[in-house]
Amino acid sequence: MAATATYPPPPPYYRLYKDYIQNPKSAPEPPPPIEGTYVCFGGTYTTDDVLPSLEDQGVRQLYPKGPNIDFKKELRSLNRELQLHILELADVLVERPSQYARRVEDISLIFKNIHHLLNSLRPHQARATLIHILEQQIQRRKEAVEDIKRRREEAQILLKEALGTLDGQ
Amino acid sequence: MDIISQLQEQVNTIAANAFNTFGTLQRDAPPVRLSPNYPEPPAANPTEDAAANVAEQPKLMSATLVKAAKQFDLLVAALPLSEGGEEAQLKRIAELQAENDAVGQELQKQLEAAEKELKQVQELFSQAADNCLNLKKPD
Repeated sequence: MAATATYPPPPPYYRLYKDYIQNPKSAPEPPPPIEGTYVCFGGTYTTDDVLPSLEDQGVRQLYPKGPNIDFKKELRSLNRELQLHILELADVLVERPSQYARRVEDISLIFKNIHHLLNSLRPHQARATLIHILEQQIQRRKEAVEDIKRRREEAQILLKEALGTLDGQ
Repeated sequence: MDIISQLQEQVNTIAANAFNTFGTLQRDAPPVRLSPNYPEPPAANPTEDAAANVAEQPKLMSATLVKAAKQFDLLVAALPLSEGGEEAQLKRIAELQAENDAVGQELQKQLEAAEKELKQVQELFSQAADNCLNLKKPD
């Protein structure tokens, strides 16, 4: 007795593409890109991938808010804070061992802030990568233009020489 | 690995060093006398723990922690955060796109001219070859 279920059949849309070779327009267009939120296998997903701010996750933000954050300065000061807190935890464990929880919470808060700062550097990195790629592409295109110009000139010279030799006969 | 991933790895390393430090010290620490009423805790057999490790471990591990923190600072200094502003970057991207389009069009023009010349030369060459084959005098 068959204990396994068979796979579902493929969707029947393939019939719509019967004359695709003759007339590419007779078949339906691919579906347009989804915008907004969509449901996939029972879970909702969003197309707008933005990093949720710290408040949204219920985490206190230790570095100053504002349009332009000086990432290097904030990362360095958070690093110093982290070291101080680790030292404080060591002290607390020696003197008053039962009060470790508060210190551990502070340390994890600092870690969350550091990771959030690093994550918010990623869009900047993406744009910088895009700039780099565009610059490289412009460079390659300029080189190709120069190459073609040079080859055309060489071809002209060759043709003139050939004409000269032919006329000389 | 790119600089931001390195920074993230370094943060995780610092965290791992921190909890390894505390865990090891707490596990290997010799028992301490709680109150004058109770007798001294039984002296643990001086195994490998005696003196050597118990005194050195804090030094080694704190040195590791400090080194990891310094490494983090080094990586932060190496961040190529050129100028401020998402707007500046977006403006640069728009400029580069315009320049890219212009250069692309020039490339297309050159390419078409070169292909036209190639066709002409091929045409002339085939004519000349035909003439040679038929032994006609060249005009």
